[in-house]
Amino acid sequence: MSSATVELKLSKSNRIYRPSETLEGKIVVKSPSSFSHYGVRLGINGSVNLQVLKLTVRGGTAGIIESFYGVVKPIPIVNKIIEVKPSGKIAAGTTVIPFSVNLKQHGENFEKFYETYHGRDINIQYLITADVMRGYLQKSLSATLEFIVETDKVYLLERPVSPEMAIFYITQDTQRHPLLPELKSGGFRVTGRMGTLCCLSEPISGELTVEASSVPICSIDVHLFRIESVLVGEKIVTETSLIQTTQIADGDVCRNMTLPVHVILPRLLTCPTVFAGPFSIEFKASIVINFESELSKLHKKSDPAVPRLWTAVETLPLELVRTK
Amino acid sequence: MEFRPRNYIAEEETHSLTRSAADHHPLSAVPPSSSAPPPPENKLSNSEDANFFDPLRGERRGGDSISIDEAPDRRSAAPYPQAPSKEWSSFKRLLMQKFPVSKMIAVSSVSSSAVCECAAFEKPDRTMLVDELDDVENEGLKVITQQEYVSRLYDLKDEINRAWNSDDRVTALKLSIKVAKLLVDTSVLQFYPTLFVLATDVMDMLGELVWKRIRHKAEYAEDGSMLDILPENFKANNVCFDAKETCNNWFCKVGAVRELLPRIYLELAILPCWRFLLDRPEDNLQRLVMMIRGLADPLASAYCRLYMVHCAQKLHTSDKGHLIACINDLNILFMRPASAKETRHGYLTDKKKLLVTLIDPAIEYIMKCIFDNASKVRVHIDDALVGLRLARNQVDIVERPAFVSIVLHHLLKELPAEILNSHAQDFLHLIQFSKDYTFDQCLNYRLLGFRLGEHRSQIEVLNLVLEEVMQAISQYERLDEFLNVVDAYIDIVLQNQMDGYLSSILKALAMRTSSKEVTEDDSRILQSIMIKLLSRLKDLDEIFALSHFLDILDVMYGRSRNAVNLHILDMATRKGRLRDPAAIQLLFEISQSLHDGIDLSHEKDDYARQLARLISRFVQMVDYGTELEQHLMFLVECRGAFGGINELKETLVHSSNSLATEALKDDKKQSTLVKSCIAFSEVTIPSIPTQVRQLNLYLETTEVVFSSSNWLHY
Repeated sequence: MSSATVELKLSKSNRIYRPSETLEGKIVVKSPSSFSHYGVRLGINGSVNLQVLKLTVRGGTAGIIESFYGVVKPIPIVNKIIEVKPSGKIAAGTTVIPFSVNLKQHGENFEKFYETYHGRDINIQYLITADVMRGYLQKSLSATLEFIVETDKVYLLERPVSPEMAIFYITQDTQRHPLLPELKSGGFRVTGRMGTLCCLSEPISGELTVEASSVPICSIDVHLFRIESVLVGEKIVTETSLIQTTQIADGDVCRNMTLPVHVILPRLLTCPTVFAGPFSIEFKASIVINFESELSKLHKKSDPAVPRLWTAVETLPLELVRTK
Repeated sequence: MEFRPRNYIAEEETHSLTRSAADHHPLSAVPPSSSAPPPPENKLSNSEDANFFDPLRGERRGGDSISIDEAPDRRSAAPYPQAPSKEWSSFKRLLMQKFPVSKMIAVSSVSSSAVCECAAFEKPDRTMLVDELDDVENEGLKVITQQEYVSRLYDLKDEINRAWNSDDRVTALKLSIKVAKLLVDTSVLQFYPTLFVLATDVMDMLGELVWKRIRHKAEYAEDGSMLDILPENFKANNVCFDAKETCNNWFCKVGAVRELLPRIYLELAILPCWRFLLDRPEDNLQRLVMMIRGLADPLASAYCRLYMVHCAQKLHTSDKGHLIACINDLNILFMRPASAKETRHGYLTDKKKLLVTLIDPAIEYIMKCIFDNASKVRVHIDDALVGLRLARNQVDIVERPAFVSIVLHHLLKELPAEILNSHAQDFLHLIQFSKDYTFDQCLNYRLLGFRLGEHRSQIEVLNLVLEEVMQAISQYERLDEFLNVVDAYIDIVLQNQMDGYLSSILKALAMRTSSKEVTEDDSRILQSIMIKLLSRLKDLDEIFALSHFLDILDVMYGRSRNAVNLHILDMATRKGRLRDPAAIQLLFEISQSLHDGIDLSHEKDDYARQLARLISRFVQMVDYGTELEQHLMFLVECRGAFGGINELKETLVHSSNSLATEALKDDKKQSTLVKSCIAFSEVTIPSIPTQVRQLNLYLETTEVVFSSSNWLHY
């Protein structure tokens, strides 16, 4: 008995579903012997989980100290329990119970199916659970599987005909943070353009040219950040964290050669930019030029979000969209 | 180079631990409570998305799973696209031969840790040796032998294979990334080609594994039933959604690699897989070419381009744009002015030269690919010329393109001869303006000369070319540079009977060789020039007619001089009787110097025999006409001069005997001369070592004596 197992299988191997679609699949119960149960249930649960881990100390005369810690109540998106099989017996061997569930009820519109997103402070997750209830003495058999939700095609934008390109110049004068004296005096100029309205299925594309730099360049990276804001009480707590880094130049590259910016957006870690009432998810990209410097060797593992004396940064907001 | 054959099944059996059945796959998604151990690196695959269906960690489907290798996919018509493998493998072999490294190599901590980790990975139960750990932690250099390094790379390759076969594709990918990362380290320059060959072998293997897996996905349903066989030239819409999804995921995984170089290598490795997604996979090449520009290290970027070219061949595209872009980028790379640091340290030119020799094969290979089959397809050449900014209308109007000499060299080497001929002057100018450390300018002139000689050209063009070349090389200070160029153009001059140039070249040669010290190498080039001249000339008279020829011959020495002398001797004795005293004098001197030379080097038997034969023939051919006494004098002289050649003594006796017979026929009855001849023979014969020969010669001489009726004397 104890070796009975239950397994969930979805009809799509990539497990991506749209809210208007029916979630189809099967529950596979394998048991060496037959046993009776009190029903087989399917649970579908989708929610926005928020957590805030932040301690902000603002100095100054007022001496405001703010601190938040803990989990904010999750925002439910969908929560259903369906009995797919009434109580009865499960035969020995393999039993397959197919199921089919509408994610969205007809006329049910108050709930918004946000796209699946795995962030740091915000997690939007959809789970499907199968439970085989076996009375009070025995633990029920269960299996859980995450499925991915993407926006319905009906609501999707047409692919932007001309993606918005932001043109940027990075020179010693565009930097708001202090620079090494040799950088400030010697100067540098890096120009380029990058798409800021990006389809999730397509890479962020653009190009970049090092026109001049007196100090040799060590590397040029594109950092992809998420900006997660959560409403706590009456305050909005915003946190920026790094998703991924993509190097586009390694070493002191030739001047006046166009380098492509080609960053593939990681699945699940990105989603369409969302501005909901209680939370928002935004993204931005930073182009960071690291110059060769003795100082940089002392700070090998530094936070890429913090500008340093030997770095030049250009940050561009990104709007991520799902297109047809 | 070949990998040693291994029996993986047997090895696996001996090395693997005893196994017990697990309830669930540790990476499978089923139990949320059992926290899958987060993979040590690779940000993307951390535990957050462990529930997401990841094609790399595809669940084990119990019994119904079909291992890729066992799958009956041999029937499939869409084989893994191979690059012309013969060329590539012979190229790899050449590369390894050209830069063999048998010394110890210092490996920076980054790569050594990767290599060490591999060793640790293999034996996860054994703790790493303490000192090995220290080495990894040390920031300094770790010294291991090349053999160790190479064998660890082989181990890594096996490990990737094993991981893949046990459906652990995450590990396989991670190890492959590690291998690709090794290519970042160019600190041991001479070792890099070897490293490249080994690492790209691993990359190619990974590419093939991924290809087969996706093809399998496209051809078989999840439950193992056959869907459809992909035809050989399938289109993207023949491929089912699932396979595309898997393919896309691979590109996403690879795209998430942080460092540029391994990211490029991995995408190149799975480049053919673009075919599952796109009908024109070659569209990605242009982006990849540009991405490679981001690699500042010249060696790493050159080899990366090489690998790109190799992988692009698998797409069987006729488009050569990426190749041309590669060459142009490489060109720019070399043209970079030395950085401040380099000039401050008076940068080691030796290192730069070494760098050029290391990059040279890459340029050669790419250039070959551009003009591969080009002679058949005219359009390609035109495209290539436009791409390299060399097309006719471009050269004149737009500012002249500049080529680094090493790039230009390979261009000259690979361009079809007729193109080279029609653009001869343009190339001449290109050579003129390419004077840098990467390659000797004179060798480019030389190459152009040889290439122009391959194909008939218009005489006017050649006149112009020669004029400019002569002008250019007159500036050269070094004799060897000058000679190298002349050596190439003398062919053209001779082929087209441009006598004016010939005499001016000879004059210049004579002037230069007399004023400068001629080294052995110079002498060797001179030999080549002289022999070319001689092969065009018919007889000695023409040699005498050429002014300065003998002057040039005089400055030569050693083996090359002998070679030329031998040539002259051979040529002169082919053309019947020698009557001109000056010619006889010259040949005698030549023979003498050859003969003197041979005494010093006994070892070359063939040469000695050839020489003896030639000198003997020369002696036979000499004809003083009626001046019989002079002839005898000559024979005496020869006997004195060529004492070392026994064969010649026979000839001398024969000659003196026939001289005597000649004298007897004469009316004047020059009895003194006959006597002298006989005396000469008599004295000469005993010095011949073989007694039978002596006897024969005695008989011959006696015959002469009898017929001269001077027998009373005996």
